[in-house]
Amino acid sequence: MGAAGGVKAVDPEAEVVVYTGFDDVAYSPCGIPYVHGREIENFEKLFLASKQAYVDAGIDVHYNADVTGVDVKGKTVDVAGEGQMSWDALVLGTGFNYADPGVPGGDLDGLYYVKNIREAMEWDKVLDSVKSAVVIQASPLGVEMVTGLAHRGIETHLVDPSPWAMSEVADPDIMAPVEESWDELGVVKHFNTTLTAFTGDGTVSAVQTSDGEIPVDLAVVCTHKEPNTALGVAAGLKTGSTGGIIVDERMATSAPDVFAAGDCTEIPHGLSGVPLQGLTGSHAYAQGKTAGINAGGGSRAYSSVYVPWGTAAGKWIIGGASFGETTATALGIPYVVGNAQGISRARYYPGVKPVKVKLLAEPDSLRLLGAQMVGGEGIKERADFLAVAVKFGLTLTDLARMENVYSPAIGALNEPIVVAAQNGLDTASKG
Amino acid sequence: MSFSRWLRSNSEHYLLIAAQQRVGSQHGARTPRKPHGLAEFFWLRIFAPVYRVLPWSLRRRVMRTMPGSHRRQWSPPPEPHGSALQSYLSSSPIQGERKSDNGTDRG
Repeated sequence: MGAAGGVKAVDPEAEVVVYTGFDDVAYSPCGIPYVHGREIENFEKLFLASKQAYVDAGIDVHYNADVTGVDVKGKTVDVAGEGQMSWDALVLGTGFNYADPGVPGGDLDGLYYVKNIREAMEWDKVLDSVKSAVVIQASPLGVEMVTGLAHRGIETHLVDPSPWAMSEVADPDIMAPVEESWDELGVVKHFNTTLTAFTGDGTVSAVQTSDGEIPVDLAVVCTHKEPNTALGVAAGLKTGSTGGIIVDERMATSAPDVFAAGDCTEIPHGLSGVPLQGLTGSHAYAQGKTAGINAGGGSRAYSSVYVPWGTAAGKWIIGGASFGETTATALGIPYVVGNAQGISRARYYPGVKPVKVKLLAEPDSLRLLGAQMVGGEGIKERADFLAVAVKFGLTLTDLARMENVYSPAIGALNEPIVVAAQNGLDTASKG
Repeated sequence: MSFSRWLRSNSEHYLLIAAQQRVGSQHGARTPRKPHGLAEFFWLRIFAPVYRVLPWSLRRRVMRTMPGSHRRQWSPPPEPHGSALQSYLSSSPIQGERKSDNGTDRG
């Protein structure tokens, strides 16, 4: 819908048609775990705009549409029940599919893939009678679902083949407090544990793992997000090493007048140039806007990404930008680290929360490579800022000397970013 | 699956596991389970250590040759814009001090 809005922003008279396979558009799927966890009272709150709002905006949305083919030369799409529809410019926002767990029992009932809000509403009713559930993989969504189910009082198991949660993104010292808070919530963690099967008589009643059987009423599958490129690939669009559709900064694909945005694409990382796929909702929205503006005849460039991220996890907020120690080590990028354990408000002010900041910088230039954080508040804002700091080449020296807000109710005298940068400079000076 | 996707998928997966081993050990945290089978042995005991000793320039060159969005047009971040108070900054000693700071080269 960001793309549709982008087209209309450039050319209000443009005829814009949106085909979606779902009953709804413009809602926040990212909010679903929080409704399940009862932090948000109902699903209606997740809707951003009414269907009438799009009618009023002149955007013709075809719900429950099944687009079966795209002809990039003839500039048409085939829509089941509607026939062949023509277009002047096309934006693909086909999103993602969860990776197949690849184990027996994948066709059982009781396997929940969090995606569609209408299905989530039905699953939420099911959750009322669920006593124990298992979350398969501690992906970002998995972390949110573990937290949500545990908040709801459901006996929650987490099965993940890696040694700690979100291990493809986050570092173990960042996730350690999260795991402790899960322990307090009664979450049963099964790390370094491989799923081998879903079992049950029609409906899942247990999962089999490398560590034995876990009886459950429900399995929430939170595997890796794979780009849904079936339509694009069938149309001849080129894909990259991630499997995502190749795009440039205009979100233009390899076919003229065809654009793509969101989880079906891949975008290069701003420092390494390595293409990334499966970013966040804010990335997808901004890409959609860019694609729409260019499809509508305007001109906008998206930029390579520095990936600010964050989420609630257990009783903490975690977040970061660009590289952490694990991802930098995986790519073989040398770094120095500056750590700081600070606080979010004046130490005497009610509600003060701890904030741990870890900065990674290039050893010679001291340019920031990335950051990771865990704390009680203020993580998102710091992650956003630090992504910009990485993008524009700020150094530990810059951050160690930066100004910061001090006001007892909202910020401490010593900003943890500043202290982490100072500690990083100390580490770097020792070689 | 194309060769490039196969290579990316496997190298990313196993380089991450090798990194989890290293970083987990440094932090006294859990580390990945030991490799099982020939494939895991190859990727974790041969590929990952060899990758680590290759210079970044060579790794980057190999990664550049893979098909992907990185080979298309992406503008670098803009240079710092002319300041709203350019005349003040250009006459300020602060700017000269910044130039001597370690690591202020924006490349």
